[in-house]
Amino acid sequence: MRRLGPLVLEPDPAPPPARVLGVSLLALAGAVAAAGVVFAAYGADPLYAYAVIVRGTFAGLREISEVVRRTIPLLLCGVGLALAFRAQFWNIGAEGQLLAGAVGATAVALFVPLPGPWVLVAMFAAGFATGALWGLLPTLLRLRLSVNEVLTTLMMNYIALYAVAWLIHGPWKGATQFGFAYTDTFPEAARLPLLAGTRVHWPTLAVGLALAAALAFLLARTRLGFEVRVLGQNPVAGRYAGIDPARTLLAVMVLSAGAAGLAGVGEVAGVHHKLLDPGQVSLGYGYAAIVVAWLARGSPLAAVLTATLLGAIFTSGDVLKVALQMPFRVTDVFNGLILFFLIGSERLLAVRIRWAPPAATVRVGSGLPGTPEAGGES
Amino acid sequence: MRRIYLVLALVLIAGLAAPGAAQQKLKAGFIYVGPIGDYGWTHAHDEGRRLAQQRLPWLETIYVESVPEGQVEPFIERMIQQGARVIFTTSFGFMDGTLAAARRYPNHIFAHASGFKRNRNMATYMADFYQVYYLNGLMAGALTRTGRTAYVGAFPIPEVKRHLNAFALGVRTVNPQATVHVRWIFEWFNPAAAKEATEALIAAGADVFAFTEDSPTVVQVAARRNLPSFGHYSPMQKFAPRHVVSGQLVHWDRIYIDFLSKIYAGRYTADNLADVDYWWLLAEKAVELGGEPGVPINPAFRAALQAARVSTPDLGRVSVYDLVMRRLAQMSAPQMTFDPFTGPIRDRKGVLRVPAGKRLTVGELTSMEWAAPGVVGPWPKEP
Amino acid sequence: MDEGGWVLATAIRAMALGTPILWGTLGEIVAERSGVINLGVEGMMILGALAAFVVAQLTGQPAVGLGVAAAVGGAAALLHAFVSITLRANQYVSGLALTMFGLGLAGLLGRGWEGRPLLDTLPEISALTYAGLGLAAALWAVFYHTRWGIVLRSVGEMPAAADALGVNVALVRYLAVAFGGVMAGAAGAFLSLAYRPAWTEGMTAGMGWIVIAIAIFAAWDPLRAVAGALLFGALFHLSFRLQAWVAPELLKMMPFAFTILALAATAGGRRGQGAPEALGVPYVTGER
Repeated sequence: MRRLGPLVLEPDPAPPPARVLGVSLLALAGAVAAAGVVFAAYGADPLYAYAVIVRGTFAGLREISEVVRRTIPLLLCGVGLALAFRAQFWNIGAEGQLLAGAVGATAVALFVPLPGPWVLVAMFAAGFATGALWGLLPTLLRLRLSVNEVLTTLMMNYIALYAVAWLIHGPWKGATQFGFAYTDTFPEAARLPLLAGTRVHWPTLAVGLALAAALAFLLARTRLGFEVRVLGQNPVAGRYAGIDPARTLLAVMVLSAGAAGLAGVGEVAGVHHKLLDPGQVSLGYGYAAIVVAWLARGSPLAAVLTATLLGAIFTSGDVLKVALQMPFRVTDVFNGLILFFLIGSERLLAVRIRWAPPAATVRVGSGLPGTPEAGGES
Repeated sequence: MRRIYLVLALVLIAGLAAPGAAQQKLKAGFIYVGPIGDYGWTHAHDEGRRLAQQRLPWLETIYVESVPEGQVEPFIERMIQQGARVIFTTSFGFMDGTLAAARRYPNHIFAHASGFKRNRNMATYMADFYQVYYLNGLMAGALTRTGRTAYVGAFPIPEVKRHLNAFALGVRTVNPQATVHVRWIFEWFNPAAAKEATEALIAAGADVFAFTEDSPTVVQVAARRNLPSFGHYSPMQKFAPRHVVSGQLVHWDRIYIDFLSKIYAGRYTADNLADVDYWWLLAEKAVELGGEPGVPINPAFRAALQAARVSTPDLGRVSVYDLVMRRLAQMSAPQMTFDPFTGPIRDRKGVLRVPAGKRLTVGELTSMEWAAPGVVGPWPKEP
Repeated sequence: MDEGGWVLATAIRAMALGTPILWGTLGEIVAERSGVINLGVEGMMILGALAAFVVAQLTGQPAVGLGVAAAVGGAAALLHAFVSITLRANQYVSGLALTMFGLGLAGLLGRGWEGRPLLDTLPEISALTYAGLGLAAALWAVFYHTRWGIVLRSVGEMPAAADALGVNVALVRYLAVAFGGVMAGAAGAFLSLAYRPAWTEGMTAGMGWIVIAIAIFAAWDPLRAVAGALLFGALFHLSFRLQAWVAPELLKMMPFAFTILALAATAGGRRGQGAPEALGVPYVTGER
């Protein structure tokens, strides 16, 4: 607890959701203002830039559908990560798990002949499985050898990246791609249908929303969810209560990494219709999802909102590039600023500010009527 | 009160006069796969865009850099919303997205670089270097002292293989025992990789360098060891004025100005582009020999190239310098009286790839997978 | 291509590429030893690379460029330090934000400096390489044989205990993170002044992440960091040298696979060989 003149700052362990939302919006406003400075420095009128952003992201069906399209992988990865972070399992490997899922889906699409719609079902299943598999090694290392999963999952990202590169240049290089580094294009049956008039591959979106709901239910109403929450908040108490951390953690990992794998399926089956350069399959979704999950504070349902927010932010960067002819790095400056402001605002959230002029608090317990906050505080 | 009538009258007059006074501007959008600062492929396209805008007063342009392949369609749409009537997409990976957009917007015009799919309103265009690489090879063959030349390649795709083979054919014309050692970096832009690949080649004994990578790294690495090299894509002679022998330069503005002018004049419309495929070379001045515009051969190397002599079937015994200039003239002529890929040519395994007296068609050039004799090193997907 | 030639050439290339990696890694090790993980190395490096290039172009003095780059890196790190230490925000997210912001800012500011040749450059294997090795040895000595080292390590392992003994945890962490930034900025300067030398946006090409990986691979030990940096440089070079026989992607994958192996081998909670206990956890004065 600290005193700043007439104000008292004290830690607030459970800020009300209204305040969370309010402070977050304030932080966003601050970031947008700071970005306005950047725009002005580039010779663009900030207000015009904001208008362009709003128009380009929300003004029509097409625009909103682009935001949705960007949101889908963020949603899937983010929901999974929200669960993982809730269990204090710091999965930084969503990027690699996404790529692993893409590889699994590609294998089914190109090499496993199945009738009609079963291909897509099999692709999703395969993507989930390969994604989950990719998260298995770091989990085992954490369970058996107490190796920090942040580091191992980060390393697995790179291994996945080079594995995909090896596949598209080597054994899976397409015969019909003019020698370029792509696999062959997926057959029609292995392509996800798009929402009419848009480019939104809606099955993946449906899967993402369903997963968010399912994980929210799991966390709130099932025994596993209870174990996850206890493990996350107080692992020692969890052991006393008979919770087996291995089982819980494995379940969390399977769901979290599998969700990221599903995002990978969506990208190759819904956007590209082939496997290609890993930097094109994932535009940093795995890392951005960390922000999605962190902003959602471990709630899968809130992750739906934060994923949409981040999708809108990415899209607005694209809009700026075209409308204002700004260099493409402006998006990174924008995103970085937003993150810094949001992070900075965390502190505001964790703190409750009270108005308590010194004169009143000196008389501890005096109970004089009319004095603010009399009694009980020192 | 009277003043208002005056203002209204002026406005009316201005409004009536406007359609006659204002020229119809054409707005073109350019979609780039990389940053314009890459000093390679995208930089050259942007140079072309800027020159076109300078020379064509009725042209207005917008551009977007570093567009991921999955995002090309939304960006095309945004450009169309901004008023662009013509869209240029400058990477092979944009092909399917451009075609989908072309079908969705039948009244707009599209042009795709380095691809092969077209539509009524979608043309393709390419400025290719193979002739220039052949000339570079002639010089490399004359300048190598170890008999080992080197090529740092980006991706083992037909475009790069074609350039590499042309280079090798040139090297072997002057020095039938020489070899071309190749290393791949599997990226268009990766200076660290280009650097290490060059070092690996130097360690393998190579002493003349050509490459496909969007930065002057190879030039700089070679120059540090006092070894000659050939610039690529952008003027690189200034990075090593005493070590860059020549190179390949591109002038995308030639194609852009031609295409846009024809659209403006109404010759190209959104209906008749299905067979428009620019395959422009030296003769159309879309590419140029040299490490700097206007300097086909660095004067520092003139003496060495004049001292080297080679026998040719049609020109007799000439200095390499003269051979290069003569072949350059032959290939720059509209009838193209010389082509490096004229048969008989066998690949490095001995299989006949070009029959005697025949030239390769554009289709065969753009799907080339074999390796020319003298090429040493990994060659993925070798037939 | 004789055997001795291979080894020597590879060693030289390993040292050349290893220099910026080593500098960056040593800085990150110091930061992480104090308990603060800084994922913003990529952003700090590229800002350093740009600063060094611009200053070297303007002044003709690459050494001055190096100094300015180090300062720029340190300043960028202080931003991360403020957010992570004083505001006690999530360190991973803060580092990611710094990477994004650094890359973006460098890309924006660096427009117009591309394509310019730099004439006054630094040689590759130079004072910087030897300084890096010397610094590694010095840090090793400091870590394990001086009071400063104990202070630093205790702040990273058990900040509450250090606090109780009168150590200003926040100050030590600030200094450690700033040091990490200085080293990252200098590593970036090496890239644009000696290794290439040139400026292109995005030129660090992921080296910041490699630095973070090698810091982990080295088990936060400065001498092992030397081995890690050299190993990485050697493997990267060999991936081209051996291209005819081994798929390059497999070779490039190796440093990361090795890191996981190293983590597994040295884990199990043995003291001094695992991650600093308090790594990534914000410390609140007076709380446990």
